[in-house]
Amino acid sequence: MELCDLSAVEVRDLLLEKKVSAVEVLDACQARIDAVDGRPGTLEPGGETKEDAQRVHAFITRTPELARAQAEAVDKQIAAGEDSGPLAGIPFTVKDIFCVKDTPSTAASRILANFNAPYTATAVERLQAAGALMLGKVNLDEFTYGSSSESSAFQPSPRNPWDTTRVPGGSSGGSAASVAAGEAFLSLGTDTAGSIRQPAAFCGVVGLKPTYGRVSRYGLIAFGSSLDCPGPLARNAKDAALMLQAMAGPDPRDATAATLDVPDYLAALEKDIKGKRIGLSPDYFQITFPQADGAYSQQPVPEEMRAAVLHAADIYRALGAEIVEDVPMPNTRYGIPVYFVISRVEAASNLHRYDGVKYGYRTQQAVGELKDLYRKSRGEGFGLQPKLRILMGMYVSAAQYSEQYYRRALRVRTLIRRDFEEAFDPQGKYRLDALLTSTTPTSAFPIQDVYGDSVLMQYADQLTVPANHAGVPGISFPAGFGADGLPIGLQLLGPDYSEATLLQLTHAYEQASAGAEWRKKRPAVLEVR
Amino acid sequence: MTAYETVIGLETHIQLNTLTKIFCACKADSWEDAPNSNICPVCTGLPGVLPVLNERVVEKAVLLAEAMHAEVQPISYFDRKNYFYPDLPKGFQISQFDVPVALGGYLELPIPAAADPEGKGYVTRVRIHKLHIEEDAGKTKNDGNERQVDFNRCGVPLVEMVTEPDLRTADEAAQYLIRLRQLLRWIGISEADMEKGNLRCDANVSIRPVGATHLNEKTEIKNVNSIDSVREAIRKEVERQTREVEEGNSIKAWTLEWDQDAGVLRKMRSKETEADYRYFREPDLLPLHISEEWKTAILADFPERPLERKARFMQDYNLPEYDADILTLERALSDYFEATVKTYGGDSKKVSNWLMNDVLRMINEDHLDPAAMRLTPQYLAELLKLVDAGTINITTGKALLQQVQESGKAPMQLVEEQGLAQVSDDAAIRAVCEQIIAASPDEVAAYRGGKDSLMGWFVGQVMREMRGKADAKLAKEVLVELLK
Ligand SMILES: [Zn+2]
Repeated sequence: MELCDLSAVEVRDLLLEKKVSAVEVLDACQARIDAVDGRPGTLEPGGETKEDAQRVHAFITRTPELARAQAEAVDKQIAAGEDSGPLAGIPFTVKDIFCVKDTPSTAASRILANFNAPYTATAVERLQAAGALMLGKVNLDEFTYGSSSESSAFQPSPRNPWDTTRVPGGSSGGSAASVAAGEAFLSLGTDTAGSIRQPAAFCGVVGLKPTYGRVSRYGLIAFGSSLDCPGPLARNAKDAALMLQAMAGPDPRDATAATLDVPDYLAALEKDIKGKRIGLSPDYFQITFPQADGAYSQQPVPEEMRAAVLHAADIYRALGAEIVEDVPMPNTRYGIPVYFVISRVEAASNLHRYDGVKYGYRTQQAVGELKDLYRKSRGEGFGLQPKLRILMGMYVSAAQYSEQYYRRALRVRTLIRRDFEEAFDPQGKYRLDALLTSTTPTSAFPIQDVYGDSVLMQYADQLTVPANHAGVPGISFPAGFGADGLPIGLQLLGPDYSEATLLQLTHAYEQASAGAEWRKKRPAVLEVR
Repeated sequence: MTAYETVIGLETHIQLNTLTKIFCACKADSWEDAPNSNICPVCTGLPGVLPVLNERVVEKAVLLAEAMHAEVQPISYFDRKNYFYPDLPKGFQISQFDVPVALGGYLELPIPAAADPEGKGYVTRVRIHKLHIEEDAGKTKNDGNERQVDFNRCGVPLVEMVTEPDLRTADEAAQYLIRLRQLLRWIGISEADMEKGNLRCDANVSIRPVGATHLNEKTEIKNVNSIDSVREAIRKEVERQTREVEEGNSIKAWTLEWDQDAGVLRKMRSKETEADYRYFREPDLLPLHISEEWKTAILADFPERPLERKARFMQDYNLPEYDADILTLERALSDYFEATVKTYGGDSKKVSNWLMNDVLRMINEDHLDPAAMRLTPQYLAELLKLVDAGTINITTGKALLQQVQESGKAPMQLVEEQGLAQVSDDAAIRAVCEQIIAASPDEVAAYRGGKDSLMGWFVGQVMREMRGKADAKLAKEVLVELLK
């Protein structure tokens, strides 16, 4: 076990006890990145080498000088006995969808490849203020549009540290991969339909999507503005709690940021879970696909996923929780179709600003009139996924289709929210503290297996997207491995602002399974060295 | 031959005079500032930024709604209006669409005799359809082959106010804008200067046979930047539509642009080619809740409206309509008038005369703010009382106005310092009169020979001799007696 494989909390304690320095911690992470990450994603990658196929490729941009300067400052503070902040000396990565001052902020798109942000996102600013060391910006699906990170304009795209022939998930694929491979202790991701939880599940780490508005979106390059949630990816619940603590809270620069006080997440971890009501829903044990004729076909989740959920339920029951079965969540099946409409309408509008006029990519071709500049700049600057979202978003929000699609989708979104309200209603029939599900219907799929089929890719998010529609928090945590040797993630969903409960339940599971054999397994990229 | 009537609806864009922009902390007013000097990541639409609503904007919109008797909506929403243009940095404008901040309302519009074809003057009511809040876009100008963009105006707060098609002549449209401008300044929410673009107007114009109640196809006139131009553009468009209809052609729903220099309307586009703005709720802003408490606080100091005050001045102070109209053109002047009347306690028409003849001239010549003059209503009232009491004569009184304004001293103090008090001592005046008569044998002879008009000359001589302090009335009496 190397320094960079410890948890953030363990390293923080070592730093405060002056057993290690922040520079040593940083060096350990940089050495790990040098060893396993391979070359960072670029716009002109050339052919893929044999070595490429064995590396993680989490990064787009590394900022070693910045991290080094910060680490030295933290060491000085610790030496002087000053308060260095709750995350002092902890290296972290940032999904390259957040703006960081004077740093390339690319959204993994050619259209923003040359964009250096003149300001820093609130979430990043708060992590840095807490003393965390930014290692750089990590790769993702272009503008977060995807569930495998393969659609990045910066190639090679990230690979799964447990099996580099597999995707790390997405869109926060670089985030999950960097944490899983021991390159960073923490990563800042975003979740619009599952983009934190799904890659966390695929890479065997903890990923938390907070309640909508719990963490400010200021500086997050928007995808679906009514769905986007910044959140932590970490090695365990405690680290995630530490990170969320530093980021959560009101922000005068984000009108949709909640003005509620932030509870003490770390203190909540140690509480007893006795009496907590944890629900299981048949609607989360199956995947529902709409067919061309409008009918739905259903497919149960794989047996090993189902078994992992039931096994966790047994653990919780043994810890004194009550398991409530057969909680109906009937509108879960509409999550993806509704998401297809709402997220695309917002995305198409959010992408309007990339027009080749003010910043970012501008066509090198000769242009005639203004529209020609727009068409060529956007045509060359955007990859396939943004283009698909623009087309779909423009279509379903057009005056003649808006009622049929967009407005209808908003009404169904309300129904999805109602499922959760009924399940969590303290006076209701189920009175749940949390709903337990598998995070994904499958484990990490092989690279290029699903890519290109944007409908199928989307269904990787079926179990995660309802929380985004409803705005409620969700967490994914590792719960063993499937027969394919890949991590399995379980998900807990809770009512608004119940992050403390979700972290507490995750922590309880971690404690209860600490001695399990599967906990000893290490990512493949660390073994081949 | 068919007679036609004109049907006009106006859409006005009112730039609110807030200190900062609607969604960021940049300075809102960029008049005469260098291009792109009042901008930030938010108003230039950089990736990742979010809008935060300036509450002052809402307050000013509520004041306007109240002024127009419109109904403020307890919940309204912001929506995105999507379109591409270089001076629209986000590629969408944050506006309100189906649930705006206020609905309904009206403006009672007095049409003066000069704008009435029958020469009598009348009052018409213009109904308001809706008021909504939105952000302004930047400015684009073409410079040879280059197109230059100034983002200073991006995010400047606007209220768009739309009337029902209730206006019937170009003159009514012009009067609407005159009264709206007066009202906006009165409630202090906009500089309302059309030349500076604080107040912008698009006019929807159609014609129909007199007596018809249906609405015919209309055209929209844009880019008109003065009240006179609005009047002229509408007249020209009505002439054109009448000509077209009489020639048997139909009116098409065009958007027309007013060319100020050439004084002509040009076709910008036809309605069919208009963009679909794909409106949808702005997810980055919360619904706008305006509680009763907030509304009450905003309207706590809501002033009497100008036309109401005008009517009250006519009623309470017995002023002629002409006086009441002038005195209520600006709120500060009307406040000044009323404060003077209250302190003075005498004939309010006399206050009106002094104000309109003398004080207003000082205000206009020196660009004074009535509320900040050193010649306060209290001093003006004191001065009028001095005249009434005969302490000074009218000429001295009028001369004192300027002196009070310049020195800031009380009228009584100036009278004492300069010995300006009127001489009403019969003996002193008689002595001067005798002296003048003795020195002017020719004039005395002429007067006695029947040239009565010379009396004025004699009085003037006495006044000059006594440096204006003589009681002119008394001097005349003495002169008449001595010259008998
Ligand atoms: Zn600004």
